[in-house]
Amino acid sequence: MKQTLVTGNEAAAWGARLVRAKYIPNFPITPQTECIETLARWSADGELPGTYFDRMESEHSVMSAAVGAAAVGSRVFTATSSQGLLLMHEVLYIAAGMRLPIVMATISRGLAAPVTLWSDHNDFLDQRDSGWLMFHAENNQEVLDMVLQAYRIAEDPRVLLPAMVNMDGYVLSFTDEPINIPSPEQVEEFLPGYDPAHTIAKNRPVTVGPPVLDEYSIFRAQNHVASRNALNVIEEVQDDFEKIFGRRYHLVDEFMLEDAELVLVTQGSMSTTAKAAILEMRDEGIKVGLLRLRIIRPWPNEAVAGALKDAKAIAVIDRNVAPGKGGIMFPEIIETLYNLDRRPLVSGFVVGLGGNPQTENKVKEITHKLMDDLAAGRPRMEWNDLEEI
Amino acid sequence: MQEFKSLKDIPEQDYFTGGSSACAGCGPSLGLKLALKVLGPETIIINSAGCMTLLPLYPNTPLKASWIHNAIENAASTAAGARHGLDMMGNGDMNVVVYAGDGATYDIGFASLSAAAAKNERIIYICYNNQSYGNTGFQWSTATPYGSETKTTPRGKENPTGTTIVNKDMLKIMGAHRVYAATASLAYPVDFLNKLSRAKERDGFSYIELLGACTAGWNYDPRLTIKISKLAVRCGMWPLYEIEHGMLTLNKDFSELKPIDEFLKMQGRYRALPPDGVERLQALINEHWAELKEYNKQRYV
Repeated sequence: MKQTLVTGNEAAAWGARLVRAKYIPNFPITPQTECIETLARWSADGELPGTYFDRMESEHSVMSAAVGAAAVGSRVFTATSSQGLLLMHEVLYIAAGMRLPIVMATISRGLAAPVTLWSDHNDFLDQRDSGWLMFHAENNQEVLDMVLQAYRIAEDPRVLLPAMVNMDGYVLSFTDEPINIPSPEQVEEFLPGYDPAHTIAKNRPVTVGPPVLDEYSIFRAQNHVASRNALNVIEEVQDDFEKIFGRRYHLVDEFMLEDAELVLVTQGSMSTTAKAAILEMRDEGIKVGLLRLRIIRPWPNEAVAGALKDAKAIAVIDRNVAPGKGGIMFPEIIETLYNLDRRPLVSGFVVGLGGNPQTENKVKEITHKLMDDLAAGRPRMEWNDLEEI
Repeated sequence: MQEFKSLKDIPEQDYFTGGSSACAGCGPSLGLKLALKVLGPETIIINSAGCMTLLPLYPNTPLKASWIHNAIENAASTAAGARHGLDMMGNGDMNVVVYAGDGATYDIGFASLSAAAAKNERIIYICYNNQSYGNTGFQWSTATPYGSETKTTPRGKENPTGTTIVNKDMLKIMGAHRVYAATASLAYPVDFLNKLSRAKERDGFSYIELLGACTAGWNYDPRLTIKISKLAVRCGMWPLYEIEHGMLTLNKDFSELKPIDEFLKMQGRYRALPPDGVERLQALINEHWAELKEYNKQRYV
C-alpha cells in the first residue's frame, strides 16, 4: 500500500476527513493548530463536503457546540491541547453523561505555570475520570487508526461515550512519518454513517441533560458499565479492522515480554525510544521488555495484569506528575497487580516533563536502577529528569 | 410571517403544559409558554443553568418540544452546534432557541453569546431577565438594576443602596453586533409574539430580552406578575424597543412616564431604598428614556 508522509496533526485531520465528520468546531492552540488548519484548508477547497467547519471563540465553546451538534445526531470531530483541554474540562463530563460519541484528538502539552509548549501527559491524564474513552497513540499511523476505531467504538450502542485520541505534542504532532492513508471506500466499509436512535430529531422530541433526584447514581453507573463494555468492543472491532486495513491492535502493546524479567511500562511516543533501547539491552543479555499503555480508559485490568504477572520487577515511566504523590500511572499499575498471588516489585520514574527528552540512555539508566531495586528488594519513586530534588 | 393583531390571535395550543416545578406567578415560565405558541414543537430549547433548568425533572417534562441543558455559560455555543448539526442532518427547518437567564447572558455566558451573534448564527436567543441569579436565591448580576437589594448586595450601615452598580446596557451591546435585538414584556404578549415571529423568519441571529418578573426574588404577591410587568414598561424601567441594522424603534411610546416609585413600592427588594437612591434610579431611567426618544427611528448603534 502506498505510504504518505504526514505529521501527527495531519494524521488526525485525515481521520476526521475519512470518517466524514459532519461538524468540526475548533479553536487554535499550540501544538494542535496544524490539525485544524489542515481541515480549514480542505474545507475551503471543497474537500470536506457535508462537513461544517465552525470557528469558535474558546475551547469551552468548542466542546459546548460539539455537545449541541452530537445531541441532534451529528458525527463530530475536534482537537485541542493543554490549557484548551482544561478549559473544556467541565463540558467533557457533560458530553460523557449525555452519552454523546464525540471524538477528539488531544495533542499533549505540559500545563502552565510556568508556560511550556512541549509535551507531557498531564493535560490528557487530567481527564481520566471524565467518563471519556481515552486512547493514546505511539506513532502517526496509530493516530489515524485510533481516530477511525474511536468512532466505531464510541458509536457502538453498547458504549455511546465520547473518545479522546492522544498524541504527544511536537514529537508526533509536528513530525512527518510515512503512514498508510486508507481510501474513503475502505473507511466507509469499516465505519458506516452514524444513525443514532436516541438523539433529538424531527417528530422525536428529547430532553437532554435534565436534573435528576435519586436516580443520579444510576446514570453514573451506566456511564461506568458503558465504559467497561468498550473493552469488549475494542477487541471485537479488530477483526474487521484487520480485514479491511491489514493492521490489528490489542488492548495493550506488548514488546518482548515472553521471557522478560524486567518490564518498562510506558505511554505514547517515548515507547518507541524505549523499544530501541530494549533491543540494545537484549543484545547485552538483559531480559527486559515493555508494556505500552494505549487504552487508558476503560482501564484494561486483565490485559495489564496478564502481561505483567510474570515479571520480577517493573518500572512505571510516567511522563506526568501528580505533585505530592508522584507519577499518575504508577499507583494504577500497583493496584492492578495487588491481588496477584505473586506481586512483582514496582518502581516509579517521573520523566520527560515539558518535553524534556527521554533518550535511550535514560531508558537504560532506569533499567539498571530497576535491577538495583530488584537486588535490594526495595522499590523507588524517582524524579528522573533531575540529578536531585 | 405569522402576525398577531390582538390577544385573540394567540394560538390556544400549548407546548408547555402543567406539572412544572416553577413558582406560582413565575414570569420566565409564562414567557416560555407564550414563546412555544409561536415556535411550536419542532423546536430545541437550549437552556443555561438557572430557574428554568428545573422545568424538566427526570423522568418528567412539562414541555412538548426538545430541550438541551448543557451548563450555565455555554447556551449560545451549544445552540450553534445544534443549529449546524440540524442543518447538516437535513433538519434545517427545526428552530433552535436559547432560553437563558440574565446572569448566564450578561455575565458568565457573554463570550459565547457575543461570538454566536457576531457570526450571525440562525438562533433565537431569549434572555429571561429576572435581574439576578434567581435560582441560587437572588444574587447580584450585571443585569441587576441600581438600588435593588440582593443576597450579595444587601443593604447595610455601610451601603444603604444595595446594588450601586448600574446594569449593563445589553440591548445596545447586542444591537452593536448588527443582529436583531428587542426587549419584550409579559404584559404585552402581542408585541412579544410578533417579535418572536419576526425572529423566527430571520436568516440570522435574534436577541430578545424578556423582563422575567420573579415573585420570590423581587418579593411580591404572585398574582401581581403581569401588573408589575406592565408597570415596569409604563415607568420606563423596561422600555419596549427594538434595534435592527443599528436602527432603533420604540415600540411603546408614552408622552409621560409614570414615576418609578409606583414600581418600587410593590416589591420587597426595593423596600428601604433611601430617597436619594430612588432619585438616582429615576434619573438613570429618565436619561435612558430620553436617549431612546432621541434616537427613535434613527441610527442608534
